[in-house]
Amino acid sequence: MKLLIVDDAVFIRLTLKMMLEKNGYQVIGEAANGSEAILKYNELKPDLVTMDITMPQMDGITALKAIKRMDPSAKVVMISALGQESTVKEAIVSGASGFIVKPFVEEQVLRGLSKFKIATEAL
Amino acid sequence: MTNNDSKAPMLDLFVFETNQMLEQLERLILDSEKSGGLEVAINEVFRIMHTLKGSAAMMMFNDISSLAHSLEDVFYYLREAKPQRVDYSELTDLVLNAVDFIKGEVIKVESGGNPDGDCSEVSGKNRGFLSALKETDPNLTDASEKSNNESENQLSIGVSNISEEQGKIRYEAAIYFDEDCGMENIRAFTLVHELSEFAEDIVHSPNDILENDNTSEVIRKEGFKIAFATQNSLEILQDFFCKTMFLKEFNMNVVEAASIKQTRNKTIVLDDPIPDESMNCTTKKVEQQTEGTQSFISVNVSKMDMLMDLVGELVIAEAMVTQNPELQGLRLDKFYKSARQLRKITSELQDTVMSIRMVPLSATFHKMNRIVRDMVRKLNKQAELEIIGEQTEVDKNIIESISDPLMHLIRNAVDHGIEPARERIAQGKPEVGKIRLEAKSAGGDVLIMIQDDGGGLNKEKILRKALERGLIETEEISLTDSQIYSFILQPGFSTNDTVTEFSGRGVGMDVVAKNIEKVGGTISVDSLEGGGTTISIRIPLTLAIIDGMNVKVGGSIYTIPIIAIKESFRLKEQNLIKDTDNNEMIMIRGECHPVLRLYERFQVQAAVKELKEGIMVMVEADGKGICLFVDSLLGQQQVVVKALPTYIKKRPGIAGCTLLGDGGVSLILDVAGLNS
Repeated sequence: MKLLIVDDAVFIRLTLKMMLEKNGYQVIGEAANGSEAILKYNELKPDLVTMDITMPQMDGITALKAIKRMDPSAKVVMISALGQESTVKEAIVSGASGFIVKPFVEEQVLRGLSKFKIATEAL
Repeated sequence: MTNNDSKAPMLDLFVFETNQMLEQLERLILDSEKSGGLEVAINEVFRIMHTLKGSAAMMMFNDISSLAHSLEDVFYYLREAKPQRVDYSELTDLVLNAVDFIKGEVIKVESGGNPDGDCSEVSGKNRGFLSALKETDPNLTDASEKSNNESENQLSIGVSNISEEQGKIRYEAAIYFDEDCGMENIRAFTLVHELSEFAEDIVHSPNDILENDNTSEVIRKEGFKIAFATQNSLEILQDFFCKTMFLKEFNMNVVEAASIKQTRNKTIVLDDPIPDESMNCTTKKVEQQTEGTQSFISVNVSKMDMLMDLVGELVIAEAMVTQNPELQGLRLDKFYKSARQLRKITSELQDTVMSIRMVPLSATFHKMNRIVRDMVRKLNKQAELEIIGEQTEVDKNIIESISDPLMHLIRNAVDHGIEPARERIAQGKPEVGKIRLEAKSAGGDVLIMIQDDGGGLNKEKILRKALERGLIETEEISLTDSQIYSFILQPGFSTNDTVTEFSGRGVGMDVVAKNIEKVGGTISVDSLEGGGTTISIRIPLTLAIIDGMNVKVGGSIYTIPIIAIKESFRLKEQNLIKDTDNNEMIMIRGECHPVLRLYERFQVQAAVKELKEGIMVMVEADGKGICLFVDSLLGQQQVVVKALPTYIKKRPGIAGCTLLGDGGVSLILDVAGLNS
């Protein structure tokens, strides 16, 4: 399953990447902000995007909306911190497939994403 | 993270990124304070705090995370509620305090410790500030503050009285999420939102999941109850629930419409009014601010050193080939043409590699802003820092070692230089003192000047002190001004009688001077009494290339850094004296300097042993002169400094080695090491 990781912190990107690659996911791209994410999405067509919300230049919600407009079947999982409830709501309304709350542990991320794994492999 | 071994590489990255963010934050805050308010920076600060919080929480550094969180809350409020009266100077203090705290913790992490500092005091202040803010703007309440006690009307599931259409079945489900998934209310909302695509007449409990974030607690404990009508079969629904993230378990039943009484009629408004415009305008602002940032990559310094080494060797190899003695006397026009091309490219390559190591002084200079700001507040003085030439670039290693001395000099300028405002007005000076920090390139060196328009140095006082400490015999009138001022660079020399928090113990200037000398720089002081003091520091652009004097000792060649050499001379026998331990000394202008025979020190065979026949090179380190005895001087040359290979044991007196033009190796002497 091919993934695109979007987060402005290199640190978080690397953490996620290490977690996922260790468990058989294929991280095919990373982006540091919303606009990069949109470009990368078009270029790589990943099965799943993990999207941070607060980012410079273009935030995750705006990017989510753009990606969903281009590809309504896109699967985008938001990565959000506690205390961002209202933004997450907006993300869900805008078509996010789910969300993971920061700080996360490996097991949690895998558990969350495993639902998508089943879904895409069934296709 | 679950396992420890995956933590180490992350730690480096965490430290690196956090430091970068802190630096950016500090600059942002200080800049915006100068330009009259934090308003413009609110978004950026919020974002940095948010990222910090996330990263720190991932590393389980809970105090850092919760401190960042408390500030994030403040800035979130500022961004969303836009309160009118905000004490920005207090806020600036709060942010800077937080920066200091986190910096301290990061240093602990860096040195392998645990960030065990307690943030409760700092973050408590932040929370206090936030609640004070909310009080002064009572008409604006935070969304999360609304309705804290709304868990009464749960557990009552009802159906709206819309008549059921044919073919639709009504289901009821109780759903439990994983314990640690967070934001249960939003998870429930996600479910409702997705259900609404194929089900209708959805009723759920708790029913205020969107408005009230406290419902997540209820859902965590008691589960989320939902009832809906749909045409889909039980299997499809089960499948749907199975694919929901973090869903632990669910119980689903088919219910009879008649058996349920209607207690509450709540339709879910999916286009919940979330202020869209504010989002849009804030992102626009951020875009403007971050425009023009270049893209950078961070490279490990050891790789840079390696590249530098290789290029140094390439330059030498190039010389070995093109100036090979075997080519002499041959007519090789085409060869020399190609050789010239090669030389051009290698020298360009060398320049480029050098430039990669170069870092602008701006980060170091901007740190000083903070120091001036803090000190001015504490000492109740008025001063501003003017920075000129911050783009001047210096080798990264040098920047690291001049940061502390600079900080000290700036502190001195504020503490001792700038007078209190009242004194300044009485003297007809502008009320606000001025400190100018200037950098410029001067040949192969960089000149850094710290200039204040304060009280200046008192010549008589310095002379008296020098006399007291026995640095001079009488109040010699022959001393030049710069000689007098340079006394303040002596250890333990302070003309200030009172010790303050920042300076005055007399342990500063000599350390500054020593640190500057360590990187091959020089320092000089100039002053005008009543008009201010200027301290000039001259540092080399890089430590990787030094001017060296090659000397021959037996069959070996050594390189002495030119900067350490005072003079070289042939010994006159009458100047040689021996002490009772038979140690050789040379008397020069009334001072005794010990002799060090390099061939003895390094046990080199077949050297010139008669002192008269060789050459004495007097070098100075830590203020002490020492005469090195060598066979002969070979000449001056710029050499690329290379570290000794790891398989050679480190010895005092050897700083490194270098490749000579003929491919031979020369050891570079560490004068301070020889001296001890």
